[in-house]
Amino acid sequence: MSHVNAVTFTIVVVLFLVVTGVGFAAARWRRAEDMLHLNEWGLGGRGFGGFVTWFLLGGDLYTAYTFIAVPALVFGSGAIGFYAVSYTIMVFPIVIIFLPRLWSVSRVHNYITPADFIRGRYGSRGLALSAAFTGILALMPYIALQLVGIQAVLTVMGVGTSSGSTFVKDLPLFIAFVVLAVFTYVSGLRAPALIAFVKDTLVYLMVIVAVFYIPTRLGGWGHIFGVAQTHFASINPATKKPYGTFIPTSKAIGSTRLDFATLALGSALALFIYPHSITGTLASKRRSVIKRNMAFLPLYSVLLALIALFGYMAIADKTTVANIKKAGGNSQLAVPYLFQHMFPSWFTGIAFSGIIIGALVPAAIMSIAAANLFTRNIFREFFKPDASPALETRVSRWASLVVKLGALYFAVELPHTFAINLQLLGGVWILQVFPMLVAGLFSRWFDRWALLTGWLAGMVFGTVAAYNSASPTASHWASSSDIELGHTVYIGFTAVLINVIIAVILTVILRAAKVPQGADETLPSQYTADPADAPVPANAGVSFGTASGRVP
Amino acid sequence: MSQPPDRSRDRSADRPGSSGQAEARWAPIAAHPVTSAVIAVLIIASIFFSLYVPIYSRITPKIGDFPFFYFYLLVYMPAVSVALLIVIALQKRLRPPAGAGPAGAGPDVSEVTE
Repeated sequence: MSHVNAVTFTIVVVLFLVVTGVGFAAARWRRAEDMLHLNEWGLGGRGFGGFVTWFLLGGDLYTAYTFIAVPALVFGSGAIGFYAVSYTIMVFPIVIIFLPRLWSVSRVHNYITPADFIRGRYGSRGLALSAAFTGILALMPYIALQLVGIQAVLTVMGVGTSSGSTFVKDLPLFIAFVVLAVFTYVSGLRAPALIAFVKDTLVYLMVIVAVFYIPTRLGGWGHIFGVAQTHFASINPATKKPYGTFIPTSKAIGSTRLDFATLALGSALALFIYPHSITGTLASKRRSVIKRNMAFLPLYSVLLALIALFGYMAIADKTTVANIKKAGGNSQLAVPYLFQHMFPSWFTGIAFSGIIIGALVPAAIMSIAAANLFTRNIFREFFKPDASPALETRVSRWASLVVKLGALYFAVELPHTFAINLQLLGGVWILQVFPMLVAGLFSRWFDRWALLTGWLAGMVFGTVAAYNSASPTASHWASSSDIELGHTVYIGFTAVLINVIIAVILTVILRAAKVPQGADETLPSQYTADPADAPVPANAGVSFGTASGRVP
Repeated sequence: MSQPPDRSRDRSADRPGSSGQAEARWAPIAAHPVTSAVIAVLIIASIFFSLYVPIYSRITPKIGDFPFFYFYLLVYMPAVSVALLIVIALQKRLRPPAGAGPAGAGPDVSEVTE
């Protein structure tokens, strides 16, 4: 497969150019008078309606990595991969409880990042710093994985792989990276919001065609499920255990139901703590937009369920299985190989473009979210408290480049299994922000030092537990689950439980000791507020004369 | 703080830590106990029926060629969508019709035109 298919390649290049154009044109879309404000660059003017928000959040949450990794997990281990489906179902009923409150209070106080809220609520710079640090740490490998997703597609296309030189091999990835970096720098959040339309059109097309067409070539769904069931029941000679499970079992072998459930619940709790999800949320213009999106985003999960089934299709296709074996058993290549074998080359081009563009959208939003965290909660908080909004925007732009460079380093230099495990670890990490953020939206009961200690304990436990998880093929970072009290449980779930228990105990002690509480700048009514106008910039300088046009 | 909070309405509700805070938060729920209960049940049920795996981790009955586990997950998503739409509609009832939020009094035009 080292030769490049000209038709596929041409279509991918053309669609990539189209998206590049859209990315740059986005700078002019809904243009504000004063672009040099973080509300504009970092949150697209905080004016997106329900329709745009649906695409933006959809493009944000369902990443290229999802299209590659979820079917890869299903291909490799079976039913446990469907935890992703279960989690994208339960995330919305969970999130509808607290996300509208975060939107309201952030709107009133002009908070741009989740750490801004934590700073305002608890009056604690340290706690805000811990949230910002965790956010950036967890986003880095996540962005890297988007680039890994692009690499998987490029590998199957045969682009660059024939060359021995690392530089030439990674050149297409560098080009994609540079384009991504430049249009994010120029257009901010408007670029991914607009590109998300193109991405979703391509992805929906790809999935619908694949779901109806591929089974007809593989002998129907009955055959696909049959092959998968037989495969996962057979014994893997390397581990002396079954390859995986076809449905979650209560037995101690393979994936258990508890593992499935805690993985799904933990991931669901983590999803909207990720800074990029919050960026997408805060960019919408009304509280009702958020609520309605929580009801309509599950429709995206239907897509994810179908994408997960691609993993079984790949098992049922002998050519794909053989190709993956030839590529060193890299199951990340399951979907690209399946498409390449099943589709005519022109449609393969469309499908591959969908995956590549599907990587650019979330990577852009993630780098913006990480950059905002750095600017607001590290740079402005600790180095330049009097930073003007224009300076903030400039710093954020550069920070987004640095973040992406870091991610590129991850993607190119580190072994891919390492990046994937870091992403699993990212979920464990970001979950440790959950108590301070979500509890803070409802109550000021928790003490800031108790929350900080709980966070630290959760971070340390999660990291150590993930490091120590071993498998027959890897001595460290092998899995995101480990065994607690005789059950296989998601590490993030255990870690956040430890986090909360410590925070509760310490809060009781610190309250009894009458330790002073930080100042809370929020008011109860602000958590249900629904201001129609974007907030007035906090530190209004000379450059804000223009902003007054938006103030009532 | 960027925007002066609207102090014209119930002041006791805006003072953190006062008993008015708790009253203000629970007042709409106390006024509509049935609606609130339905909302709670819908949300808890939506979470429970995907969280409690033993309900659906079965191969049979097969629906068409789909084992029950996979069919259930596929069908569950539109069901959650509908449940959440009902929740949103019910939540509107919990609120006094006009001038409830600090955004200002009167019906909100953008809410309708969206």
